Amino acid sequence: MRLLGVELNRFRSRRAVVLLLLTATLLTALLAGTALWDTRPVSAQERARAEAQAQLAADDPQLKEDLADCRENPTDFFGPDTVAAQCDNFMVPRVEDYLSRAELDLGRVVDVRGVVLIVILTALLIIVGATFAGSDWQTGSMGNQLLFEPRRPRVWLMKGAAVLAGGLVAAGVLIGGFWVVLTLVADARGLAPSGDVLRDIRLTALRGTLLVGGAALGGYALTMLLRRTIATVAVLFAYAAAGEALVVSLPMERAGDWSLANNVLAWVRDGTRVFDDDIRCAPSLDVCDQSYQLGIGHGATYLGLLLLATLVVSVLVFRRRDVP
Amino acid sequence: MSTTTDHPVIETSGLRKVYRTRMGRSIVAVDDLDLAVPAGGVHGFLGPNGSGKTTTIRLLLGLARPTRGEMRLFGEPVPRALPSVMQRVGAVVEEPKFVPTFTGRKNLQLLAGSAGIPYDAVDSALVQVGLEGRDRERYGGYSLGMRQRLAIAATLLKSPDLLILDEPTNGLDPAGIRDIRDMIRELGESGVTVLLSSHNLAEVQQVCHSVSIIGDGRLIASGRVDDLVGDNTLSVVRVWVADQAAAARHLQDAGYRVTPDGDHLDVEGAAHPEDVTRALAERGVFVRGLTPVRGDLESVFLELTQDATLGREPAASEAGGAA
Repeated sequence: MRLLGVELNRFRSRRAVVLLLLTATLLTALLAGTALWDTRPVSAQERARAEAQAQLAADDPQLKEDLADCRENPTDFFGPDTVAAQCDNFMVPRVEDYLSRAELDLGRVVDVRGVVLIVILTALLIIVGATFAGSDWQTGSMGNQLLFEPRRPRVWLMKGAAVLAGGLVAAGVLIGGFWVVLTLVADARGLAPSGDVLRDIRLTALRGTLLVGGAALGGYALTMLLRRTIATVAVLFAYAAAGEALVVSLPMERAGDWSLANNVLAWVRDGTRVFDDDIRCAPSLDVCDQSYQLGIGHGATYLGLLLLATLVVSVLVFRRRDVP
Repeated sequence: MSTTTDHPVIETSGLRKVYRTRMGRSIVAVDDLDLAVPAGGVHGFLGPNGSGKTTTIRLLLGLARPTRGEMRLFGEPVPRALPSVMQRVGAVVEEPKFVPTFTGRKNLQLLAGSAGIPYDAVDSALVQVGLEGRDRERYGGYSLGMRQRLAIAATLLKSPDLLILDEPTNGLDPAGIRDIRDMIRELGESGVTVLLSSHNLAEVQQVCHSVSIIGDGRLIASGRVDDLVGDNTLSVVRVWVADQAAAARHLQDAGYRVTPDGDHLDVEGAAHPEDVTRALAERGVFVRGLTPVRGDLESVFLELTQDATLGREPAASEAGGAA
């Protein structure tokens, strides 16, 4: 525990770590701020203008003529099973259509901005983990530290624990803060989310926090192996970019199972639909669905094994290597 | 603090370290090194650049793994016993290495914390090396001398029984050099065993009681400094005369080796300076000036390392970065 305390102290004292966490905080605030700004309530003036525009459109003689035709022959307009009443729904201009923004819908936010936030934090915390280890190697202070604590696996473990703890706390605070703010604002606007949406938010935030913590640990482990922050960033970029290119170009079904991005999405969003144009459809089918569901279990296994392999190789190599 | 064992504090036997370059070439940095550093006092560790001094130190401290051979610190086999013996060892390897964005104090506190050393030790170590008052400045802004002092302060945190110092006076001003040498002497006299790796031969001669000289990764000579210098005394008498040619002829006739060197002659083979003046006076040549030059560690070192290099294949050199 003593060594863990020292490593936590070292972690929070590193300038690069502090700067990256500040950047993460700013980006989180920016995402929350834009989500709130883009869905801010419309003013009375904006609503009046929209009502006027909707009315103007509704008064268009051509529209009235088309509406009358539709009511007489609704199936000509909107296909089989359409009834006359639906013509009004589909054709009469609504005030909402002339308002420039939608209301705050946390169910949509969790699908888009919620995922973007997790991806951004994951990328930043990988660099946090990497720079924490990279600095020890680059300054040569790793050798100095081993003169005071020569048990290398222990040193590796405590540094990793500090990174994991730092990553989990940072992710928990930022992702949690993001959702608390949005939920409070939604409540204040009278748009409180349903129980299902709240549950989805909670689980996504939890999985996101675990992903970010694991990513920080992975960045640390990879840098302990490669000894340079930039090397870690390069390897991860190459893995992600080259891996995606390979997955796209492979002429086999379900190659997307190996995509890092797909697996991250599958983990964060409890499964994801993956489009795959290598999926062959039976000629007899009128409609062919060239997508499949990648489950959360697959995402968890893929990411977990990737992290585990990195950790094991990293600690084994560190145990025996010459330290400059 | 003191070491009371009869065994050598540092012992290596058949120690060998081979580095492999990225091109796959093998470089022998340490080659069957048998080293024994007695307990107490200051022991010099001498060798030309690339002779394997720093690699040996790194092997002893567990920073590098030997290819072959055995090492012992305080009689305990290392690297296996390092976790227990490192509490008794303080070391500076090559140049000081700390986190530049942390203050000197913060760097020491983190090191102390990792070894369970109370923070009070940081204060006393800083005072001991004269860094009090500058300890809250960022390490990145330190001069080379201050960095060196901080590195020595780090070694003192553990109140070590064995202190391994690799070129500890590098970058220090004359006053700093004197302070550090005094400190090393005092530590040696207090019972701490100090292994001083240095290229500064005068420093080793001034400070060390015993010395080991290595070349091409092998031990060339080892023993008390006085014994080594005494056994290898090169007595040269430097003579200034009006007629160098005549004086050289007379001295050669008398059986001495004479080498003209600028405005004077170097005369070798004389047991006493007065033998030279007498030989010249008997032939009517009178001396204008005379300086007896006694043997020193430098000449011993140069002679031994030159012999070692001449007598061996030149392949045994060291990997980059290791001294």
